[in-house]
Amino acid sequence: MSAQSSTKPDAGQPATDYRPRHSGFVSAAPRLGTAGQPAPERTRKRRSRNREGLEAGRRSTRTLLWIILGAALVVYGFPFVYLVLTSFKTPIDTIAVPPTILPREWTLENYTSALGRSGVLASMINSVQTAVISTLLSLVLAVPAAYGITRYKTPSGQVFIMAALVTRMVPPVAIGIPLASMMASAGLADTPIALAIAHTTISLPLSIWLMASFFEAVPRDLEEAATVDGCSRLGALWRVVIPVVSGGIAVTAIFAFLASWNEFLFALLMTAVRSQTTPVVIANFQTQFGLDWGSMTALAAVFSIPVILLTLLLQRKIVAGMTLGAVKG
Amino acid sequence: MRIPDRRFALFLMAPAAVFLAVFVAYPLVRLITDSFFKISPVVGGSREFIGLANYAEAFSSEAFTSAGWRTLAYTLIVVSLEFALGLGMALLFTMLGKQSQVWRTFFLYPLMIAPIVAGLLWKFLMIDNFGLVGTLLHQAGILSDPNQIGWLSDPSIVLFSVAIPDIWLTTSFMCLVLFAGLQNIPGDLIEAARLDGAKAPSLLFRIILPLLRPVIAVALVVRGIDAARAFDTILIQTNGGPDSASETMSLLIYRTMIRFGDPGLASAMGTIYLIAMLAVAFVAVTTIWRPGKDS
Repeated sequence: MSAQSSTKPDAGQPATDYRPRHSGFVSAAPRLGTAGQPAPERTRKRRSRNREGLEAGRRSTRTLLWIILGAALVVYGFPFVYLVLTSFKTPIDTIAVPPTILPREWTLENYTSALGRSGVLASMINSVQTAVISTLLSLVLAVPAAYGITRYKTPSGQVFIMAALVTRMVPPVAIGIPLASMMASAGLADTPIALAIAHTTISLPLSIWLMASFFEAVPRDLEEAATVDGCSRLGALWRVVIPVVSGGIAVTAIFAFLASWNEFLFALLMTAVRSQTTPVVIANFQTQFGLDWGSMTALAAVFSIPVILLTLLLQRKIVAGMTLGAVKG
Repeated sequence: MRIPDRRFALFLMAPAAVFLAVFVAYPLVRLITDSFFKISPVVGGSREFIGLANYAEAFSSEAFTSAGWRTLAYTLIVVSLEFALGLGMALLFTMLGKQSQVWRTFFLYPLMIAPIVAGLLWKFLMIDNFGLVGTLLHQAGILSDPNQIGWLSDPSIVLFSVAIPDIWLTTSFMCLVLFAGLQNIPGDLIEAARLDGAKAPSLLFRIILPLLRPVIAVALVVRGIDAARAFDTILIQTNGGPDSASETMSLLIYRTMIRFGDPGLASAMGTIYLIAMLAVAFVAVTTIWRPGKDS
């Protein structure tokens, strides 16, 4: 396949050719290490041709495909819908045999009992704190590192990005205990900062890879022009390059935030009562209070829905931001 | 006074490198050192150098070897089902084109759900007596009794059941990556094959899948690594039971460390696990991915 031979987008290409495909996630995820990525310019031409290639044309075929898609989406979406519906049932209906899909009687009882429990609201504050600290830490470390790797292409940079990939393979259970005892000896036991640092070990390698793929798409002329105009290299990075990749930074931030928000094992190993995050509290519902499914589903809904909505809403912003930034650049 | 580019690049990378060295590499060194000691779990307890005894104990323990095979089986179940479903969805979205874009976004939603929530949710759906899955299958006439299948209580199928939340959560990721890959297949190639009379199956196996190979390799390796480390979903659903039938390596190490209070043995298991993961990932990358050989 000679057409796929260009490994990386040409650095000298105009920034306008860097268009996100469909969503922030789509544009970022496949670049993680795909060897055969074609240049963006080609992608665009191909995409329009592809429409004739794989897209179904016949009306009957399309109807059938829509029906299959509809069925798949129902199956895929139903479990979470059922969780939300269950959270509005009365505690007795929650474990009724046989179970019903819709609540027989709609009530907020589960919500008041779940949120009223001691430690639940505190755990949500802890979750927000930990995730925000971890996201910021991840960005502050990943953005310069990824820039250094992509812009200067030094051998040490190549070694470093491979090392970051290897870190991804380390099972958290293997480093959790040593990490916890390190934090304890640094006087940080049971603090959101300690947990945020642990979460950053997960999100940093991913952030470096994502940011590297975003910097790769920025034309080198941009900073060269800036340095000729008398900007320092750091100044060019801060004032010229960072604004262009702001959409990419937003995508990376979302990934880092989600990684921390949803993380459970480190939170279980490293926190006691004071800095416990919500996933640990949700898991504790099982043992501590018997099998209280109603409260559990209510807390799970409160914990998950804002993040789902925020990500889906921001996703459009991110796509718009990326396109805008690229056009301006 | 201007420092050379090479130094400047190092200066940019240094903070992240130092962070990973201190918080990943150093704990790993501690893990490996601990694996040569008999450690008392109490704070300030004794440490006694015992050489390779922990490794010998791990390899001779039945729990360890079966957890290893179980982890492998679990990973294969998760990755193969996810790949089949993700590819199907990606093809579906590609064939429907632009009109399906909104649904593509909707399809991403499980990626944002915490594994712990997904595990509890599926436990609730599959639990004996008031689980909805059994009831629905019963009402559809497939099962004669809602409790006919003990999803989470039958040791012979529990490994499959605990894999379901994992599959549900990350099929979206697989679909996303494969969809992006499909967009890069030149349309004229498909057209040409169609004109030559290629039917759908040969189109898929002779043209689409070979062209997607690099993308597939990345997706499989990334997801394989994650599945082999699965912990949250299994812990919350079965805690490794019944009869250790769903105890994968992460759970065994966790229990050895926390419940049985043997950090030395757990460290030896962790070290073997890490080495095995690196070896498998290395083999997978060099054989499936083959960077540079396909282009």
